[in-house]
Amino acid sequence: MSFTKKYEGMGYCISEMRDGMACSARINFCRNGGNPIKTMPQIKHFSWLIILFFAVVFLSLTLTGCGRKEKRLLFHAGAGQRSSLDEIAQVFQQRYPDVKVDFSYKGSGYFLADVTLSQEGDLYMPGEEYYLLQAAGREFIADYNPETDIAAYFLPVIITPEGNPQNVRSVSDFAKPGIRVGLGDPKACAIGIWHEKIFQKASVLEKVKKNTTMEAKCIPELGNACQLKAIDATIVWATTAVLYLKDIEIIPIEPEYRELVGLPVAVLKFSQYPEEAKKLKEFILFDEGKDIFHNHAYCIDPAKIEEDMKWLVEACRVSKDASIPVSEQTVGHLVKEVKRSRETKR
Amino acid sequence: MSGSRWFVYVLYAITILFIVSVCWLFLSNIGYTDTQSVLELFSRPWFWKSVKLSLLTSCVTTIIAIVVGIPASYALSRFNIPGKTIIDVLFASVIVLPASTIGLCLMVAFQYEPILKIQQALGIRIVHSMPSIIIAQLVLALAFGIKAWRAAFDDVNPRYEHVARSLGSSRMRTFWKVTLPSAKVGILAGIVLAWTRAMAEFGAVLLFSSTFRNRHETQFSHISKFLGIDRADILPVGMWMEIEGGNIEQGIAIGFVLVIITLLSVYALNKISGKGLQTNKI
Amino acid sequence: MIKYSHVKQISWVIFFSAFVVIILAGIGFLIITNVLFLGFSDFMYYLQKPRTWINIATTIWTASIATILSMSTGIPVGYMLARYKFPCQKFMDTLIDLPVMVPPAAVGIFLLGLFKTFPVNSVTSILGIKVDHALSGVIVAQFTVTVSFCIRLTMASFETISPRYEYVGRSLGASLPYTFFKISLPLAKNSLIVALIIVWARACAEWESLMLFVGGIQGRTDVMPFAVYLDFVGGKLGWALTTSMFCVLIAIVSMYAVHRIGGKTHVR
Repeated sequence: MSFTKKYEGMGYCISEMRDGMACSARINFCRNGGNPIKTMPQIKHFSWLIILFFAVVFLSLTLTGCGRKEKRLLFHAGAGQRSSLDEIAQVFQQRYPDVKVDFSYKGSGYFLADVTLSQEGDLYMPGEEYYLLQAAGREFIADYNPETDIAAYFLPVIITPEGNPQNVRSVSDFAKPGIRVGLGDPKACAIGIWHEKIFQKASVLEKVKKNTTMEAKCIPELGNACQLKAIDATIVWATTAVLYLKDIEIIPIEPEYRELVGLPVAVLKFSQYPEEAKKLKEFILFDEGKDIFHNHAYCIDPAKIEEDMKWLVEACRVSKDASIPVSEQTVGHLVKEVKRSRETKR
Repeated sequence: MSGSRWFVYVLYAITILFIVSVCWLFLSNIGYTDTQSVLELFSRPWFWKSVKLSLLTSCVTTIIAIVVGIPASYALSRFNIPGKTIIDVLFASVIVLPASTIGLCLMVAFQYEPILKIQQALGIRIVHSMPSIIIAQLVLALAFGIKAWRAAFDDVNPRYEHVARSLGSSRMRTFWKVTLPSAKVGILAGIVLAWTRAMAEFGAVLLFSSTFRNRHETQFSHISKFLGIDRADILPVGMWMEIEGGNIEQGIAIGFVLVIITLLSVYALNKISGKGLQTNKI
Repeated sequence: MIKYSHVKQISWVIFFSAFVVIILAGIGFLIITNVLFLGFSDFMYYLQKPRTWINIATTIWTASIATILSMSTGIPVGYMLARYKFPCQKFMDTLIDLPVMVPPAAVGIFLLGLFKTFPVNSVTSILGIKVDHALSGVIVAQFTVTVSFCIRLTMASFETISPRYEYVGRSLGASLPYTFFKISLPLAKNSLIVALIIVWARACAEWESLMLFVGGIQGRTDVMPFAVYLDFVGGKLGWALTTSMFCVLIAIVSMYAVHRIGGKTHVR
């Protein structure tokens, strides 16, 4: 069977050989005593390759998913809850060492498509009950009780870059011409819904929309933009604000526009380990989880909102000034957060 | 000779399998979108504005890349610049940088304190604006373009230039009349390559200049409205937003539009150069 | 004494080199501002966290497996395309270039659809491989994006070897497999190693298709570029910058290796 379809025939290369062109094949065959017919069996070389190939495929299959002995929970959570949920997962894993928690963080509005397509997940914690009700409408939720399953409350605050260059002090200041405001996309992140509600209450929604230079897909994008001075002001939850304590200013919202937003948690119908998922949910809802949430600037008691607000502003001030010691007296419950923000420059 | 026959059959089989897989990758998704959603997508003004925006930014990016990149690749190919190794390595490594890194680096670089002050003094703001799309696309398009153009100039035998010079032509004239036409095929291939890469840029743009779809009308300058590109995103970002938002059918339709555009440009590339991507020279 | 012709020559060189300097300044600007922004102490602080190293390890081994799969498909197909003629060559060239040039985001979406339709979804359910939200999905996505790139590279490397050597070997009685393994591969060794490194670096840097295909699960599927994105939109700028500096480091190191190994095959 001729394999030289593209080029000329063999006679061509024999004449080349006669011209004295050295080639490695010739040297190779000369090593065999000049006897080209008695070559090494081909099957030996080919089989190496095939064995290697299957070994690689087998190795990759076992390493990537088929050999796990521990139970892994998949927790869909909004991006704003990231810092607190990481800590909760750590404590939970210490208590139940055979359960590992993996988080899928996205803007809260994006989970519906994901869960619909993949039909996978154990727990769901969007930033706003609206998304949970949407999921419940599609029958993804196994059990959720609106009365008792609120883990904590979000506290919306105004944040601006360091120094507050545009001097934004209140919600109506957002409508000042020329300042750059960052809003959330209501379809994508939980804070988007509340942006619209708060500004609607203050009757400045249209003007604020004209000032918007950025729609965020998830809430920490707003915090990032503020930290990097890409926008002049925005409203975020307090728990996002404490991620950037050194680089922003925190200004409380006026009480008439302020509302506490409940953070719901629910177990999904597709859970592979419903028992463990329930255990995690209980952990979040009871005291230990609540303490961790409180330390990350969530509000767990609606009556103490003013006190939480005060500590928040204090923490912001203290983290910028290295001379003030960090303790319960100076920053209240936010000791850990302020210490963390002092550790690194960024 | 049965070993040879078996070998060739195996090779043929692997190749055919590969070709079939590539086709199937794209064809299997036809079931996810239907004519109705495609028509719906085409009726949205946002879609056509996005197409216009993508094409416009890619063309501007390519033009800037040509103006900056072709002289640079000529210099890299012909002259012995001090530090050539480092420059080569740096330019080549941009191609294997993740897009998210590029976007993040751009964002941090432009918001860095001294740079920010320059921007404030000039009264412009680069992050989250339309020109930022062009900058984000430029980084990778330039890297791909320089690789292709340098290979093109390497292929041109410098003796032709020396002959022209010895016959009395000036340097500029030699460059325009001798070097560039000899390297014409490679340069055109590089242009198409840079354009396609600019079209396909997703990660850097997402991080550097967030989305424009929901912004208010007054945010956009008159030029944007005149060109019809206000309130639109570039196509890959638009596709991502549709799919994340749950609108999978329209998202896949946009994906197909992107594939068709890429197909046309790859076909053009193959017709021009006859070899596809020139990738054996780094 | 400075001659006018010298001045002209030097100004010619300087004119063109100026563009190189501009681009170099641009890249340097990007990297240096980031390094200054992050600060060395912060970099060290984040490098000490185990999570950074888990990300790096995950990236390296998934990229390695994807590279091995890629090369095992790429070498045979590249050899075929370099040596044999197929019907509708232009169509096949286009098709092979397609996955490289299509936006990786679109490739991710199509992979998602691919794994949910027949026949692939029955194959994966029979074998018990889970692709969504799992590391095997990462490897599949990296493989898909790099395999066409790999084919182009191997095709180019096989084309630089004159087929005469193979003919001589065949004319002396060797069979095709023997020629391939003992003659073509060793001759192409340098270019193939260069191709391997480039493909590996490209697989390390792949994330857009991951985003749409497997979603970003922290701790399970975050490879380095993905971790940069997740950290950036998660508010942890220090983490993101450290990981991205690492990505830059890996890119520069692999390209330097390519330069050293491939330098011998350069024409100029």
